[in-house]
Amino acid sequence: MTASGPRTTVNVARPLGYLCAAGALAVGSLLLPGGTAPGAAPSAGPSVTVRPSTGTPSPATPACSGIRESLRPDGPLPAPGAMPPGSTMAAIAERGRLIAGVDQGKYLAGYRDPQTGQLAGADIDIVHSIAKAILGDPGAVQFVVLDIADREKAVKDGKVDLVVDHFTVTCSRQRNVEFSSAYMTVTQRLLVPVGSGIREVEDLRGRTVCTSRTSTNEGVLRALGLNVQTRTGIPDCVVDLQRGRVAAVSSDDVILAGLAAQDPQTEVVGRALDHSSYGVGMRLDQPDLVRFVNALLERSRQDGSLAASDQRWLGDVLDPVPQPPPARYRD
Amino acid sequence: MSVDAPPRSNSTGAGPTWRRSLGSGTSTPERLFRVALVLIVGCLATALVSVIAGMQRTASVAEAQTRIAALTTDSAELYRFLADADAMATSGYVSGGREPTAVRARYDDDITGATERLVDAAGRLPGSQPVATIAEQLPVYTGLMETARTLNRDGLPLGQAYLGSASALMRGTILPAAEELRRQQSAELTAAYGRGVAIPFAVGALLLATLVAIVDVSLRERHRTHRTLSVGLLAAGVALVAALAWWVAAVGTANARLAAAQQHSDAVTALDDARTAVLQARSAESLALVARSAGFASDDDFTTGIDRVVGADGASGLLARADGGAPGSADRITALRVAVGDWEAAHRQVRALDDGGNYTGAVASVVTTQPGGSGAAFAGVDAALADAIGAERAAFADGTGSAASALTGLVAGPAVLALLAAAAVAVGLGRRIGEYR
Repeated sequence: MTASGPRTTVNVARPLGYLCAAGALAVGSLLLPGGTAPGAAPSAGPSVTVRPSTGTPSPATPACSGIRESLRPDGPLPAPGAMPPGSTMAAIAERGRLIAGVDQGKYLAGYRDPQTGQLAGADIDIVHSIAKAILGDPGAVQFVVLDIADREKAVKDGKVDLVVDHFTVTCSRQRNVEFSSAYMTVTQRLLVPVGSGIREVEDLRGRTVCTSRTSTNEGVLRALGLNVQTRTGIPDCVVDLQRGRVAAVSSDDVILAGLAAQDPQTEVVGRALDHSSYGVGMRLDQPDLVRFVNALLERSRQDGSLAASDQRWLGDVLDPVPQPPPARYRD
Repeated sequence: MSVDAPPRSNSTGAGPTWRRSLGSGTSTPERLFRVALVLIVGCLATALVSVIAGMQRTASVAEAQTRIAALTTDSAELYRFLADADAMATSGYVSGGREPTAVRARYDDDITGATERLVDAAGRLPGSQPVATIAEQLPVYTGLMETARTLNRDGLPLGQAYLGSASALMRGTILPAAEELRRQQSAELTAAYGRGVAIPFAVGALLLATLVAIVDVSLRERHRTHRTLSVGLLAAGVALVAALAWWVAAVGTANARLAAAQQHSDAVTALDDARTAVLQARSAESLALVARSAGFASDDDFTTGIDRVVGADGASGLLARADGGAPGSADRITALRVAVGDWEAAHRQVRALDDGGNYTGAVASVVTTQPGGSGAAFAGVDAALADAIGAERAAFADGTGSAASALTGLVAGPAVLALLAAAAVAVGLGRRIGEYR
């Protein structure tokens, strides 16, 4: 049959060869996929944690020639609904509402009353009085809540007609914003936990103090060489203070008084680190509105309504309530 | 068996006992014995590998089923509960005054639901980093939220700062961890699926090799002895062919069913992603009102979320991949697109109200379920999504369930057949060897 072998013989090599080849294949394929045990824990991924960035240094303030005084009112206030044609006020009246940039976290100044959901406070009173003077209706206001850092830009870009938000008058801000005459003077101090032993900024060496980002307070604290953490608003700082993450909060006394009123475990301490005054911020190219608001403030100073509003809001938490400063004009 | 011509031994001389020269003997019975041994070992190895491979495959499909359960009850639901809790807390605050009872109850249910899912996930996935992160941060979140509530009750605006802190923790840390957990589970499912449909090379190779060896031996035996095929070898061959057929049928059926199920799985993944995007858009809508920065804040977060779901043209996006072919699937997706369209329209109205100075009207539209409002439209989207996800998940579970049933008996069946083949080889060749005594 075959040339080589006389007969077909029983040969173990062939079946053995098949099986060995198959065995090698089988072992290989069993080992390669590396059967994972069912239910094995998935590999641990990177843990996801987001930490708030602790403050960007405030932009260096170039030399300023000092604060510029405001613009003198041109005559008595026109009657509501009878604004001079072509004026900024007439345009606001035409629109039917005043657009005002405010804060909703400054207790007693500009805050959202959790019971009613409405904004209230001394600053909000001023907004309502301006709306009443222009439109005859104190409620004809669209409130736009702004972060501290957004206020200048909101005014400059015309997103709002004006900002009433404990807006400190500074010469660098006056490059973008025309301020009304000052309606309140304040001092920068510290808010600390009761019994913390901190009385002055010197006690804060090696500890962290919190304030709102890009506020004038931030510049003052950094100039003192303190370890500063900034948040979008002062209330966020108080959350950190209550959670023990910062040693103190620094801001203006009226703001701190409002915060101390919310938490009896905190107190306002220390000497005045800075003196400043608040004004209503408006656009540089709308001097008619500035003169109008100044005329309104003048009237409120004289009839005592400005002092009465401050007393109503701050009387319980601040003693004495600062008196509205006299108006000063550059022209 | 008739013996017409006794096979001639080609050994030069039989040893004292054939047992002694088993390993090296060259006589025909000795050779035959070794052949039988090789074939039997082949059959036994086939049986063993068949058992192992069958168990692995069954386990993989079972794991896929477990993963579905994990995805359904842990990750996706966990994310939904957490995101919803934050949305409830936020809208409860926006509405002002005492938190509406229904909103507060839903927040509590969400937290309870999330905690249950978390406990479940911790048991199912010990050592999982995302689970640990959520477990650490969720109590912090609820603590901050309760402080916010207490302050709100006292009429103190500091509550809003706590609300903002809590919400930032949820959106910045907890929800990303929940999302990570869902992605991990998805990847595990895909891996289990891959093992479940892999071609069984090991079993196939051994089965075929043993079969070829048996056929080869029987053909050569017939040629050598000029006799009919050995009945034992024939029976062994038939048993192995049956085992091979079993494997081919089981794997073929199971893989076809798993492939169909995988379609549903892809749809569920797309729908889960869509739900995440929808919840994020809802959160952006509420937060814009909390921030109360009408016209100043951008609406990009809302638009981005919606675009992810339906695409910029309204006809693509995640929903384009969400039709898994479950009964009524196409209709549900169409309904979902309509619902998202309604919501977008209601949202544009909210923005127009808010930017136009009607803050109260905007809040009412978002917070309440008044018809035509954004709140009602969102509820419509959420319900449509839940509907579609439920249907595709059920279809997926059914698919893997029937795939698992196709594997019934795969562990034992072919292995028993291979053992029978081994026995048949032993009997068949044993008889031939016996003829030489």
